Amino acid sequence: MMRRLDKFNWGWASLPFLLLCWVLVASRFPSYILPQPWEVMAEAQRWIADGSLLQHLKASLLEEAGGFALATLVALLLGTTAGLFRRFRDFISPLNSLFMAIPPVAWAPLTMIIFGLGYWSIVMVIFIAAVFPMAITMQEGIQSIRNGEVRAARTLGATPLQMIVHVYMPASLPFFTAALRIGFSQAWRALVAAEMIGASKGIGWMVSMGGQIGNTNQVLLGIVIIGLIAWLMESLVFKRLEKHYQTWRAH
Amino acid sequence: MTNHNGLTMANSQPVQRVAATLAIDSINFSYPNGHEVFRAFSLEAKPGEFIVLLGPSGCGKTTLLNLLSGFQKPASGTITINGAPVRPEMPELGYVFQSPQLFPWLNVLENVRFGLRMQNRLSAKEQTEKALHYLALVGLDQAADKLPYQLSGGMQQRVSLARALALEPALLLMDEPFAALDAITRNNLNEETLRLWSELGQTVVFITHDIDEAIFLADRVVVLEIAPGGIHSELAIDILRPRSNLGTRKLPRFIEYRTALMEKIADVVHANLSVL
Ligand SMILES: Nc1ncnc2c1ncn2[C@@H]1O[C@H](COP(=O)(O)OP(=O)(O)OP(=O)(O)O)[C@@H](O)[C@H]1O
Ligand SMILES: [Mg+2]
Repeated sequence: MMRRLDKFNWGWASLPFLLLCWVLVASRFPSYILPQPWEVMAEAQRWIADGSLLQHLKASLLEEAGGFALATLVALLLGTTAGLFRRFRDFISPLNSLFMAIPPVAWAPLTMIIFGLGYWSIVMVIFIAAVFPMAITMQEGIQSIRNGEVRAARTLGATPLQMIVHVYMPASLPFFTAALRIGFSQAWRALVAAEMIGASKGIGWMVSMGGQIGNTNQVLLGIVIIGLIAWLMESLVFKRLEKHYQTWRAH
Repeated sequence: MTNHNGLTMANSQPVQRVAATLAIDSINFSYPNGHEVFRAFSLEAKPGEFIVLLGPSGCGKTTLLNLLSGFQKPASGTITINGAPVRPEMPELGYVFQSPQLFPWLNVLENVRFGLRMQNRLSAKEQTEKALHYLALVGLDQAADKLPYQLSGGMQQRVSLARALALEPALLLMDEPFAALDAITRNNLNEETLRLWSELGQTVVFITHDIDEAIFLADRVVVLEIAPGGIHSELAIDILRPRSNLGTRKLPRFIEYRTALMEKIADVVHANLSVL
């Protein structure tokens, strides 16, 4: 009996537990303050039926994709350069710490003045949120490459270009996938926050608008979707990617 | 053709016998912090010769191999392989490091194939065949699909040896490659090194601080002085080949060489102590 309990993965129990708590707490409040899960489900059906959920989801995902892609490119450049050259690393690391200390959403009012309300102002906030933690992780990846591997490759005749393709890149791949995961989740958090401040569509907008008109169903639906997307990306894409490339590094 | 495990080698091919002349001509070398390691140091290795450099810890063995492989440059003097100044990338040069330095993201076969892939002179199929050939020579063709972390230390060092040999270097530098292994594994790999060398015939410069290992392997043992210095003395090892762990190590002559080298090393260390 004890054995079987030990083997049971308790992770599976957490979601039902959360739902149970929700139901119990919600039963003590009127539904315009805290609705039951099934009421939120009914709200979801309405949003799906008239196509507006898809529309908002699409807007958010497009912004996420744009900001995340831009951040990945720039982080790759910054992180690799900082990893390879000590002087550049010394120069960039105070800037890195400075920008990481500022909550990304604090930039939202500024980007909205510069880029106007809409796609690009949100993309810029996402970019700022994701680029620095990604750059640092990639820099650590390059720095973690052992001198011995580099020397071995040179005596095996690798040219400088081959060194990059066949040693530096594969050796830092596990860090690269970790950077992608970190960057995506940072970007997603910033996206929702930025949409809540100033946007006319998107999941974040859905939540803040729900609050303003007093539709708690809408608020909770938004929150569930935000969590669901983050969880799906994390466990279905990034965790697998990382696991795939990290088996050899653990030893 | 069969290897020492009695396994038939499907892809045996004629092995090129190429050997280089290594010439070190009165080199001087100091580290940037001013620590002087070599002063007017000269040494020559004849084609196909197996030279063992023997010296106590800190005498500059690793520094010398870094110079011989071109990772570091002497302040003056020249180091040439077949007359050409050394560079780490030159194809004549093979290097087996103190620790295996395998690429952990590549499997054993791909590790051995790495150099051939960089050269890209052979077709992919020929590269794989050649890599398998050298893996079989070190007795590890069965482990081709494994990742490095799945191998023992001794097996990893074997792969490292196969990886260097696959490029058929005319000069093989070995920096205490078996020092981290247990005595039994070390003796086995010593025997294996000699077997490979007698088949392939390249020039070898092997570094160690183990006297028995030096005698067992060498045509000539060169005893190094503690830095800054040069050569303390040399000893030609006149023991018949092929040598074997069971036979060679208990020969009276082996014991004599051991005594002689122990005295030389004691002399090196003692001379240094009186300086301090
Ligand atoms: N990067 C460096 N800067 C300054 N001095 C160094 C450096 N590397 C080594 N040395 C010094 O040079 C001398 C020779 O070092 P080296 O590593 O070549 O010795 P070794 O014979 O290989 O020793 P061991 O058997 O312990 O490996 C030592 O006195 C060492 O302290
Ligand atoms: Mg050393």
